[in-house]
Amino acid sequence: MPDIVDIAVDAGSFKTLVAAVQAAGLVDTLKSPGPFTVFAPNDDAFAKLPPGTIQTLLQNIPQLARILTYHVVSGKLMKTDLAKVDSVISVEGSPIKIDCADGFEVKNATVLAPDIEADNGVIHVIDTVILMG
Amino acid sequence: MVQTPIKSETKLPPSTHEFSGVIHRLEAGGAMLPDTPENLMQIIGLYKAYAVPMDFYWRDLLYIAEREFLNPFPFFKYFLPKEYLELHNHYAGDDADLRIWQKGAATAHPELLAFMEKGETFKMPKLFHHLWHDRINMEFAEACMRAMLWHRGMGGKFDPYLDSDEYKANADRAIKAYFQGNPAMLGLYKLFPDMFLEQVRQLSYYSNLGLFWEVMAPVFFEMSDRYDSGDIKNVPDAMNFLVNGIFAVAGRPIYHHVYIRGEIYEIIPKSKGFMWLYEAALPYVEAVFYRTAPFRGTKSYNAQAKQVPDEQKDFHYGILYADVFPVGTAGIPPTLLMQDMLHFLPPYLVDYYSKHCRGEDDMLIQLGISFQRSMYNVTSAVIQALRQALLYPLDDTNPKHLEANRAFFEAQIDRFKRKEARLRDIQRQEYR
Repeated sequence: MPDIVDIAVDAGSFKTLVAAVQAAGLVDTLKSPGPFTVFAPNDDAFAKLPPGTIQTLLQNIPQLARILTYHVVSGKLMKTDLAKVDSVISVEGSPIKIDCADGFEVKNATVLAPDIEADNGVIHVIDTVILMG
Repeated sequence: MVQTPIKSETKLPPSTHEFSGVIHRLEAGGAMLPDTPENLMQIIGLYKAYAVPMDFYWRDLLYIAEREFLNPFPFFKYFLPKEYLELHNHYAGDDADLRIWQKGAATAHPELLAFMEKGETFKMPKLFHHLWHDRINMEFAEACMRAMLWHRGMGGKFDPYLDSDEYKANADRAIKAYFQGNPAMLGLYKLFPDMFLEQVRQLSYYSNLGLFWEVMAPVFFEMSDRYDSGDIKNVPDAMNFLVNGIFAVAGRPIYHHVYIRGEIYEIIPKSKGFMWLYEAALPYVEAVFYRTAPFRGTKSYNAQAKQVPDEQKDFHYGILYADVFPVGTAGIPPTLLMQDMLHFLPPYLVDYYSKHCRGEDDMLIQLGISFQRSMYNVTSAVIQALRQALLYPLDDTNPKHLEANRAFFEAQIDRFKRKEARLRDIQRQEYR
């Protein structure tokens, strides 16, 4: 089975995310055995951010990495696992609110495609970039 | 960069909040401040008048954090050397990281340089300007810094880091390097290490606030230019420019570097991942706009009188609550800032103030109230930016999402229910 990074590259709708992960030097981490749960914002999600946001982050790698690691949780958590909890702690260290009451929402993002299994974890595709706080 | 406000009809039943009018305005993409041309003129004029002294504040804050450092006798800490006046702002000029101020240069603002040379009097050496108190009131910037230092724990990872062993080790290296060859100070450091460590923490906050204002100065200059050219037409335009500005620079690093004998000591390295939004902007707003410290001239610190709250979170002495009418009298700290801004008012505001109240005689108070309006607009931008970052778009079609937005707005406005809050006053144009 391909790993998390390969799936994102092959899907074609995660160009910004893949570029950001590469810039932040997180490729090796996300290719490691993990396992990880990744909430992956698609290109449309990044496009919703106001202008300049991505540019500043790409100029500042540690800050970019911090935002990206907020989208990653350690362990392989499928939708059914997440439905049992109110929040999970991200690799960044801040909590992410989970709401499966009706639909499947992660913080203020809606999951577009849940449970995409990878060799080293699982991907849930989200429609909004989530931010700490 | 300015987005048109969303004018969709709210699908929720009307809010029953005491400030329902303000809530509905926020839900429609507006600000806490009513959208009138008079308000727009006042807030933009004040942004411009604030940005010039701010251009001095951020430079001097960084100078103190990076160069003066632990100087036990910092007599000349407000005397900016040439290299810090020529220090390039990261958000202005041709070599900017992200050019926010389109027309301006990256070095100190020309009006600031002119004021430093002549002041209110005439051209004379800096020392005389300083002694005659014909200068920028840098103490105001330091008071803001100290509010951030003292209130602490307002979110972000910067403050917890100041207590970590890693930070202490970094500070230790810099302290020893700074006092190298000075056995008296090194001996003192050995005896009272925490005394020095706490000073370094304060200096890290100097750096934090300097880096925060380095962004705000070009943002305000650009807004003033856009108002002059007609690109900013109403209060929501002004607020949205700020919202976009907040997002644009959210990721800039917050750090503390010290330069000792040509070497850099990274007390807080950029690689810690501290960000402008979480580690500087949000703590600043909480510490300075909302909390600060009770004015010596309006509250008694008497422990029996119980005028000052026990809990820091209940402090309500920021600009959003301040009584501006006693500005210019003893014990009212914002006077320092008002006096600084007075020198850089655009002509249209000088005209405007001359026609109201006591004309030029009480201009300090009139501009103070305009400043309060302008900071209500900045706070509106912060509230909208947080809503955008953590919640849902204003035109979301899911009623559950709209309810979440409303609950957020109502919780924010709850802080202005206390009688000292000026939210009620700024709704009226006669408040001046």
